[in-house]
Amino acid sequence: MNSLLQTLSDDLAQVAERIQPALVQITDGKSSIGSGTIWHKDGLIVTNAHVIVERARRWRGRFGQIQRSQRKMRDVYVVLSDGRQFDVNVLAVDEDNDLAALAIDAQDLPTITVGDSHAVKAGHWVMAMGHPWGVVDSITGGVVIGAADDLPEMRTGREWLALNLRLRPGHSGGPLVNIDGELIGVNTMITGPEVGFAIPAHTVKAFMKKALGEPVSDVVVV
Amino acid sequence: MSETLKALSNGLADVVETVSNSLVRVNGRRRLSATGFAWNDDGVIITAHHVVRRDEGITVGLPNGDTVPATMIGRAQNADVAVLKVDGDLHASTHPKSDDPLRVGNLVLALGRPRNTPQATLGVVSAIGSRRMEGTIQTDVVMYPGFSGGPLVDASGQVRGMNTSGFSRGASIAIANSYLTNIVDTLLEHGKMRQGYLGVGAQPVRLPEALAEEIGQETGLMLASVESDSPADGALLLGDIVISLDDDPTPTLDALLSLLGGNRVGTEVAVKVVRGGQIETVAVTIGEKS
Repeated sequence: MNSLLQTLSDDLAQVAERIQPALVQITDGKSSIGSGTIWHKDGLIVTNAHVIVERARRWRGRFGQIQRSQRKMRDVYVVLSDGRQFDVNVLAVDEDNDLAALAIDAQDLPTITVGDSHAVKAGHWVMAMGHPWGVVDSITGGVVIGAADDLPEMRTGREWLALNLRLRPGHSGGPLVNIDGELIGVNTMITGPEVGFAIPAHTVKAFMKKALGEPVSDVVVV
Repeated sequence: MSETLKALSNGLADVVETVSNSLVRVNGRRRLSATGFAWNDDGVIITAHHVVRRDEGITVGLPNGDTVPATMIGRAQNADVAVLKVDGDLHASTHPKSDDPLRVGNLVLALGRPRNTPQATLGVVSAIGSRRMEGTIQTDVVMYPGFSGGPLVDASGQVRGMNTSGFSRGASIAIANSYLTNIVDTLLEHGKMRQGYLGVGAQPVRLPEALAEEIGQETGLMLASVESDSPADGALLLGDIVISLDDDPTPTLDALLSLLGGNRVGTEVAVKVVRGGQIETVAVTIGEKS
């Protein structure tokens, strides 16, 4: 019995170790403001749009239409897991899907294999990594509540992975992985202390393709 | 990497998939639909009382996607349980209802189907209810919106109770199978929960020391009133101290209440009282509380 729990515990730690190098910090110099995931070894990073875009002010206009102030990119840089720091070139931002693609001038970076997020089912064990409240390389685990585009509290018409784990501010943009350490989503938001939401990997893939043109895997001009 | 983690993850997803065959969506309130599950193969469905706000026009979404009308069999408001019945292809056989005791620390899943697809959260058993919480299981599973009325499932895929968030925020409470069985049986037979009735007002009092030592019980219930035309009328007297019902001790009001379950209605019980310093046994036929 004890040895079973021990094995389980070791396995969890192994997954964490495996994905940790592909997790980056996004910081504005004063504090860590979010996480990012290395998408391609030559310096392509995916994160949430809300991590790098200053929250746009919204208000209702005279006729009820929603007005937005000019969005502003935060002045951020990226810190890799080995401590190296890089300036950021924002390649694409999709605020509707809350995704952003960043480029840094680095090669041969560690990446995470992208898994099949369509195969994710309720009950599957998953882990989310990030820097909650600026605590670096923190991991949280739990099960998938469900994967759907009609979740009761997320009537956005978009697909989400609802997660029974403890995401916190700072996890945003970090990787959500399955037990094989494959990327199946990007941590994005929470609706309660123990309910988090991730954008499924296939949505991220589609965004990358649209934003950068095919093939994604090739070198990005920085 | 070893296969242990994979086995755990797939095991959990397998449990969800298996039990979801008997997991239904219950449309009985305006806002969000809730969850229910098949109790047997005859179309009997368990759900939470507080998520079914009406008695007519209730529908149930079956695992195969069909939505069928459901009739209200009855409610046990105190336990937050409602029992529905549908005509539909719905089987409970995939989840044998186990009564083996759960242990604190056991892994459990809460399942829900507020939409078409099954959903799940994971937690551990925090406490097994005792005394006033008898028949409940406290867990730390997250009650995702619409999860009330869904099954609490153990690691082997057996349904262990019905989850509800109707009692408290924070702790998740499940009504255990043993308790559910009583409720379902009563509701199917009578359409409502029954409660035994004596017709007395009572308060706990300390027994004289000698007597307490003799019967091994420190307190009893002194009768402060006896309703006229009640089961107790003519049998029990003002000032009697009730010490047991059919030899089950009644040191507190809770103990007496727990002995006046619906199953005792209409039965004759031997009430042991202290009357004038002597222990006497009186026969009373338990009535039904209206």
